[in-house]
Amino acid sequence: MNISLKRITSTWIITILLLFFTAIILGITMRFNQGKVISIDDGKFYGIMTTHGMTMIAIWAVAGMVGVHYLLSRYINVGAGLSKFAFIMTVIGVAMFYVTTFIGHFHAGWTFLYPLPFKNSFAWESWATPMFFWSLTVLGVGWLVWSVGLLVAIFKKYSFSQTFAWQHLTKKDPEVQTPPLVLISAISLVGIVLCLLTAVVILVLSFAEIYSDGKFVNDPLLMKNLIYFFGHTIANESLYLGLGIVYELMPEISGRPKFKTTWYVALGWNFTLLFVLTAYFHHLYMDFVQPLGLQMFGQFASYFASIPSAVVTIISIIVLLYGHRIKWTITNLLFFIGITGWIIGGVGALIDSTISNNIFLHNTLWVPAHFHTYNALGNVLLILGFFTWVANEFSGSQTDPMRKLKLALLIIGGFGFVLMFYCGGAESVPRRYSVYPAEFTRAALFASAAAWFAIIYLLGMSLIFVDIFKKCIRVYSSSHSDSSVA
Amino acid sequence: MHKSLLVFTFGFFCGLNLYSQSQEYNLSEEDRLYTKVENVKILTTRGEMLSLSQMYVREPFVLALVFTRCIGVCSPLISNFKEKISELNPKEKFKILVVSFDTADTKADLDNYAKLFNLNQNENWVFATTGQIPELIESVGFHPEWDSSRRQFEHDALLVGINGNGYIVKKLIGIRNIRAVESMIKEISNEFVISYPLPHNNSILSCFTYDPITGKKKPKFGLFLLLVPAIGTVILLVIISRQKKKKISENY
Repeated sequence: MNISLKRITSTWIITILLLFFTAIILGITMRFNQGKVISIDDGKFYGIMTTHGMTMIAIWAVAGMVGVHYLLSRYINVGAGLSKFAFIMTVIGVAMFYVTTFIGHFHAGWTFLYPLPFKNSFAWESWATPMFFWSLTVLGVGWLVWSVGLLVAIFKKYSFSQTFAWQHLTKKDPEVQTPPLVLISAISLVGIVLCLLTAVVILVLSFAEIYSDGKFVNDPLLMKNLIYFFGHTIANESLYLGLGIVYELMPEISGRPKFKTTWYVALGWNFTLLFVLTAYFHHLYMDFVQPLGLQMFGQFASYFASIPSAVVTIISIIVLLYGHRIKWTITNLLFFIGITGWIIGGVGALIDSTISNNIFLHNTLWVPAHFHTYNALGNVLLILGFFTWVANEFSGSQTDPMRKLKLALLIIGGFGFVLMFYCGGAESVPRRYSVYPAEFTRAALFASAAAWFAIIYLLGMSLIFVDIFKKCIRVYSSSHSDSSVA
Repeated sequence: MHKSLLVFTFGFFCGLNLYSQSQEYNLSEEDRLYTKVENVKILTTRGEMLSLSQMYVREPFVLALVFTRCIGVCSPLISNFKEKISELNPKEKFKILVVSFDTADTKADLDNYAKLFNLNQNENWVFATTGQIPELIESVGFHPEWDSSRRQFEHDALLVGINGNGYIVKKLIGIRNIRAVESMIKEISNEFVISYPLPHNNSILSCFTYDPITGKKKPKFGLFLLLVPAIGTVILLVIISRQKKKKISENY
């Protein structure tokens, strides 16, 4: 393995985890404020909310990219240059974004729904809105080049139909086998490229409004469609990158034969690409101007998008584990718990995407409940599994101190944290309130309890980070390219 | 000829001015929204002593604040509201509570006032006085000012929609059209009221055109922009995969 790729992967891991800690602390601050344990003014609260949301979405999208980039180098010729370029652009973009929120006091939320970013005459500095969009531009360019570069590298080895494993649909044992990692990575990267091209349209329209001095005004419905297509799709594609890593590493770590792409794996993942792109319509149920047909399509696309990937993955994992002696390590345990969290969160999402339920759950705490479940207890754990595995690869050390304690802290803290969101959602507590109205008598209690659970989760995460950090930094002192350091 | 043209022009611009004023968004309509109305006691012209909570737990109501000596907007407010209700003939169950904010008004004054509009026998209309005027008007954000020279109150023509839990869910200031009255009745009855900002004149890229009168919408050019990223991605994939084919043929 290329030492340069190891080093940039190590740098990414340390940076992502440091940003993750920062974002968790911001999240805990918000929940303590909602729980009336501390008191911060509304402007600061929404600044924190914006920073927390954007940081989390950004780091876990790139974390998946880091993972598949590293693992794809087993199958295709892909160097470290793309990853380095994306890292530099990400650091610049994140720094610019933090300036807009912490110095410019920009606080329109990570969804920056139109026209909120443009209604800034008194809420934040006038330069903060353009700088926010410029920070997104820098991030978007870095990630677009990275994604397209990875796709180019895949297409250099596999043809178009082989990349998407279409040969597996007609032949049981085709001449060219598409590894599941390549298939899932390609499906996810196509989705990410589509998201980032959508971001280009959003940015062009936003800059047109900013720099036309009011001569050009955007349409709120168009912007909402574009933003939610971008936001919903990139969040889901990030998860699929995590699943791609599980397909690649789970059998290997568990001492079982590698997964092979079969007709149902190929079919399921191809359908996932198709349906996940149209599922975002469920974010627009309250926009009555949106045609009814699109709303209904959004509901069914939400069901169909989840079934192929989820069913195929669950069957694959059960077949892999059931009735076999498995060598359990922290990595495959994190994968297993991560898959469980992803499924639980996914069920919560499906409940919310059903129109008759959404009438009651829309913009309640049910929404952060399900997306925190499949992120904090799903994607984060899947990626963390990769981080622990690759840190062991870098160091050559398989030591795993305090494994049970780390997992116990993550499970108790994580599930306790999201449970408080679900309880709030079930009681129709609204989301995005800095302080809850008195009518929601138990909302503050849920919020402060959630903050304490999040601290437990953070403790577990800290123990894992210390171990990963110690192992990852060894890669900088190594000059070997093909063997582990120790 | 010239005279009539002049009158027409004057009338047209006055009308335009009135129209544009009616389109203005009045922030004071949001004052005290979603807060509870003060639970004051009222004495109705039918001789009942009720608290407002006793009223709203039975049915939501629209509160109109008037005074019987008013030579200004009070009578047009009541007669216009009566007319709009009659036109709408709503299926929702609600009451209209007309309360005097003038301490000089008595039960008899209100009774006579109801008769003026032929509403004294109408079960849906309740006319009343209260001994807690300051608490009531403060809780709904109504601020009349006494003009001693005219011996009149300067005040808004205000209708306050109060739902079955006693919350102020809608306020209408001024004589309003039938759609505004309809939306108030829906609000107090906890029905979904659709609202959407109409496309701005400078917004050339809207997804749909929406006609608020007919409720119909038609696709517009902006909708095409939703497809641009998908088309871009397909083109990009075709280019990448073609490069690959070229490379293979070169290699072979």
